[in-house]
Amino acid sequence: MSASTNGNGKTNGDGNAASANAGVLAGFRVLDFGWVLAGALPGMVLADLGAEVIKVETRQRLDYMRMGRPIVGDQPDPEQNPMFHNVNRGKLSVTLNIGEPDAVELAKRLAARCDVVIENYSPGVMARLGLGYDTLRGVKPDIIMASISSTGQEGPLRDLRAYAPSIGALSGLDSAMGYEGGGPLGLKHAFGDICGALHAVFAIVAALYHRKRTGQGQYIDVSMLRATVVTQGVGLMEHALTERSLPPRGNYDPTMAPYGNYPCAGADQWVSIAVASESEWQNLAAAMGNPAWAKDDRFRSQYRRQRHRRELDALLAQWTAQHDADTLTDLLQRHGVAAAPVLSAAERLFHPHFMERGLYSDIDHPSLGAEPIFNLMWGLSKTPSAVRRHAPLLGEHNRPVLCGTLGLSEDELAELEQRRVVY
Amino acid sequence: MTYSLLSGLRVLEIGSMLSAPYCGKLLADAGARVVKLEPPELGEAARRYGPWPGDIPHPERSGLFLYLNANKQGITANLETPTGRSILRRLAVASDVVVHNAPPADMERLGLDYDILAGDNPNLVMASISPWGLSGPWRDYKAYDINLAAAGGICEGLGEADREPLTFGTPEVGYFAGVAAASSIVMALLGRERYGGQHIDIAEAETMAGLYNGPEALMAVYEWRVTRRTGHHALDFPYPNCILRCKDGHIFVGSPEGRQWGRLLQVMGNPEWSQEPRLRNRTVMNNRYADEVDGYVEAWLADYTKAELLEIALEHRIPLAPVRTYDEVRADPALADLFVVIERDDTGPVAYPGVPYRLSEVDLSEVDVAHHSPAPTLGQHNRDVLCDELGYTGEELVKLYQTGII
Repeated sequence: MSASTNGNGKTNGDGNAASANAGVLAGFRVLDFGWVLAGALPGMVLADLGAEVIKVETRQRLDYMRMGRPIVGDQPDPEQNPMFHNVNRGKLSVTLNIGEPDAVELAKRLAARCDVVIENYSPGVMARLGLGYDTLRGVKPDIIMASISSTGQEGPLRDLRAYAPSIGALSGLDSAMGYEGGGPLGLKHAFGDICGALHAVFAIVAALYHRKRTGQGQYIDVSMLRATVVTQGVGLMEHALTERSLPPRGNYDPTMAPYGNYPCAGADQWVSIAVASESEWQNLAAAMGNPAWAKDDRFRSQYRRQRHRRELDALLAQWTAQHDADTLTDLLQRHGVAAAPVLSAAERLFHPHFMERGLYSDIDHPSLGAEPIFNLMWGLSKTPSAVRRHAPLLGEHNRPVLCGTLGLSEDELAELEQRRVVY
Repeated sequence: MTYSLLSGLRVLEIGSMLSAPYCGKLLADAGARVVKLEPPELGEAARRYGPWPGDIPHPERSGLFLYLNANKQGITANLETPTGRSILRRLAVASDVVVHNAPPADMERLGLDYDILAGDNPNLVMASISPWGLSGPWRDYKAYDINLAAAGGICEGLGEADREPLTFGTPEVGYFAGVAAASSIVMALLGRERYGGQHIDIAEAETMAGLYNGPEALMAVYEWRVTRRTGHHALDFPYPNCILRCKDGHIFVGSPEGRQWGRLLQVMGNPEWSQEPRLRNRTVMNNRYADEVDGYVEAWLADYTKAELLEIALEHRIPLAPVRTYDEVRADPALADLFVVIERDDTGPVAYPGVPYRLSEVDLSEVDVAHHSPAPTLGQHNRDVLCDELGYTGEELVKLYQTGII
């Protein structure tokens, strides 16, 4: 097992950082029914900050994130999904087949020893299983339970089958994203999952803060849709105040020009450049060696640059195309102009800035060996986030959790395993 | 509705545009008392961003500013002056939390960095949000939203292969940094008895390259997923997983589960093309024949509106989702209680997005439903904060204004 704090120049150099930094949430225990992405992330974040997070899963219905094509060998293997290894690191795994009443009882007994319960089953499933908030509050009156869903626990869209791209569509996010005059393309990322998970984390820790002062528990309903809608500030306010709905406008910002990704030397290499002020424009011109076109009347003020941004983009692209993206980034930044390369996944992994800050750690996993796992990078100076442990093997912690925390005997555990209650 | 989870907490925000203001908004809407400090005369940049009611620009009516700064108090102080800096330092002593997104080098130059402020108040939790973080070779590099999206992994996969990479339609990265900072702040407060104050380093680029896109690196190592630009199709997913045209706009069509695809085909009347052997494997269909199949599916979609397709989605449990424009989002009755109407004399009533999570157990008597206050006008609370709390006299307040300090 390896451990690593994030960079911030403050990593504990003795190779034993995790024990030196137990994490600011050490002492809190979380029962984590979350799965796939939106449900798995909040527990991951809390674990990175030091909470003990017990992931409840079952062979009866594997977390989808455990599935996928094998990397070693040719047989399906629930221990080989790199995405799972990323978003479940730091957790303990207990296998409870919660279709079985005895497994539900065990889950309740675990909940009674936890501060927080997280779940993202379809709305209503936890209650149907006998693990709804009212039940759990019965066994632990100050429990904080967070339910994460696509579109909320109530309302007409509650039962809509919705995935990350559905949320991009329903929230307005997709409607303004695309080439000018073209249709929406959709993001390939799970914006809604991540946004929902992050807001769930905030609500959970705020509820813990409230509980500390009042002793009061909480039920938290977070939807990916609502969490994404509130990030659409400009688009929503545009409609609220002008009754216009923003269409796709390519790379566009109303206050900046140039503002875009410009081609660089090499195959499919790009640099992003954004200029907001007259001084930044003068600096950009200086970085380019003050070419004659930069003094053209069409580009003589921020207003005119906006009006003629297509011509401006074309001329700027002729210059950028002669240089590589890293050279341009350093040159422009030295001149006080905001610039950064369009980085691919592999480029981010080996980027000098991110490497120095420790964006990735090599974490040993029993099935695949050392793997780059991203760090959360929440740099609390005394207790930074850290990847504390590799993602758990399925049921890896049945014994320490069920015998240790719950106090079952070895015989009882063996019997529960044999009856596929613990499964 | 706002909540009282953090009532009693005192926060000082020195924020502009998205990230620190959104952090402040999350804390304010959860019950903290947030004082926002702006430079005198111009205020922060969001006041000049818009949009504006009736397209009449005015620094007090910028939509982005009004949205992100509701429920806060506003003061002004020119931090380039010793008196302005002293006002900030005295406020930091009286605060639990300081959050800012001023460049780290500026805070150091002004003598307002964490070491100075924590010297006055060892229990202070201070969050510094910056584009690239407080360490590393790019520490003092600048960035706007597109630069963070470019380095953070948004742009590489967005767009057509033969055209420029795209970014978000409107600024987005700061929201991720804001919620990361707000969560980190509350965590640090939870541990304050054990650890005392802390300085929190949140890099906007890393909220994208880390939590948002972090696992992609491992996918790239194993060549599990192609992240380059492939238009409105993503490779290596089972078809369909894309936005297509329908009668009155666009609709996301997905079916990750085989039975969902079966139901969609059934609703489409089990068309002949779906029986072709080369279209049996849906991942092959997606990677090789997507444009062709788009045509078949769009021919069917052309007869249905977004609203009708949403009904079909609900009835047949198929993942269809209308691509809604902002007017449609704001008109959705299911989201009505997400929006809060706040009235100010110069804007009239305006519906703003509110708290995105719902709580059940907050004692309603503790919830101050009248707590909603509009974003502050520039320096609106100078008297309340500087006189009533810091003890400046009315005469001194006037002098501070006349000399350009507030």
